[in-house]
Amino acid sequence: MAFKAQETEYTQPTQADVDESIRKYGRDIYNDFDLDAPVFNDQHFEILDDLVEKCPVVHSTVGKGYYLVSQNTLVREVGQNWRTFSAAGGYMPNRPDGLPFLYPEESDPPVHTSWRQELNPFMGPKVIKGYEEQIREDANILIDAIIDKGKCEFVSEFAAVLPGWAFFKNVLGVPVEDLDKLVDGVESGTFSPDLDERGRKMGFVFQYLGDYLKKRSEEPPRGDMVDMIAEGVTYEDGSKSPWEHRVSVLVDMTFGGIATTTYVMASAINWLAENPEQRKLLVDDPETYMPRAIEEFARVFAPVVALGRTCTRDVELGGRQLKEGDFVMMVYAGASRDPRVVDEAKTIDITRETVLHSAFGVGIHRCIGSNLARLELRATFEELLRRIPEFHVVEPPTHVSGFLRSMRTLKIAW
Amino acid sequence: MKVHIEVGVDGGQQGCTGHGRCAMMAGEFYEVDDDGYAIHRGETVDVPAGLEDAARYGAGVCPERVIQIEE
Repeated sequence: MAFKAQETEYTQPTQADVDESIRKYGRDIYNDFDLDAPVFNDQHFEILDDLVEKCPVVHSTVGKGYYLVSQNTLVREVGQNWRTFSAAGGYMPNRPDGLPFLYPEESDPPVHTSWRQELNPFMGPKVIKGYEEQIREDANILIDAIIDKGKCEFVSEFAAVLPGWAFFKNVLGVPVEDLDKLVDGVESGTFSPDLDERGRKMGFVFQYLGDYLKKRSEEPPRGDMVDMIAEGVTYEDGSKSPWEHRVSVLVDMTFGGIATTTYVMASAINWLAENPEQRKLLVDDPETYMPRAIEEFARVFAPVVALGRTCTRDVELGGRQLKEGDFVMMVYAGASRDPRVVDEAKTIDITRETVLHSAFGVGIHRCIGSNLARLELRATFEELLRRIPEFHVVEPPTHVSGFLRSMRTLKIAW
Repeated sequence: MKVHIEVGVDGGQQGCTGHGRCAMMAGEFYEVDDDGYAIHRGETVDVPAGLEDAARYGAGVCPERVIQIEE
């Protein structure tokens, strides 16, 4: 159990490793990586395992170029040190010029601290617990709509819907009649294969959220997170957060929680369909296995594959010299599969007593919605397994991958 | 046995960031506040007899690896 001191010697991939990579993936993933390459979608886990096992610091030549670290200790070294690895340059590599920054995710202290300490109470375990009944009810509404059909396309009919309902109904309190277009806007705005559509839907959600925040700022307060964001925070220099910062906070909170949980939820259902013995454990003894299963699914089905930081100074990382301004990505999905900290890291096993993972990130930008995500997953698995304890896969799932990973379709029947 | 949870002053160093995993894993020993942060962060506390395994398990799942066990 004791945590081993950080290894200071890093082994580089050998020529044989590089040759094998070219043979298996059609490219040198260690020196010529591309998050958006189709092969990273198709051979996702195999590539993650090679990165984490064989190469401490991976390089990509795409655009301006970027680096990636996957080992658990290196991901923490970056994530836990905002002074050297700043979030203020954005979390995406090759970020398009002119794109507005999302606060607090794309900021450092003290701006980050000002927002985060005000936002945290609205997403803490105590407040989130209050949403449980509504989320369970919503899970059952979605199950009602599919149960008699004997089959469903689980992503569009459940997994892409429930997280949106949970967030928009409980956290934002938007009118119910706007739910469908918002859920579709976030989902298509993040994952649509048609990039024009992606931009249009994203634009719609931005516009909606900006208008909603304005409207709420003129209404009597409800005492919720939206009121707090509309009111804004006071920065360290005494200035009030500008209106556009407040809108960006609302956008950040919205996109952070909705398009991500879908992947864990749908992947877990796919896996449970194909592993009836472990599914039976969950059905028979949820008290023991549900908490373990939720963490194990978050560990192996990481929706946030990697987020980046900008070096604020020349720094040595994982045995490689990086320069001020270099962009380095933390591969959370890899850090959760690091055999140095997880036994049998490639095996999915919901009976693991302890699960160490980095699915919600590390450091001050730790996912603020982690408590809500866990509740959505628990409500889904408990209600679905209670009402549909046996189901099977009709058509294998399809995925989309980049710095996020999601499932496009999953056809199941019972 | 003692447990020390690092606090991470000003975010400039490693510390508790409120994942809450310790309390989920071993609620008989670890507690979090309403925001999800370990209530004993920044302190070194004695582990009551019988809760040594709980203390170890909670430390083992901390994503920040900031719970130190002193045997």
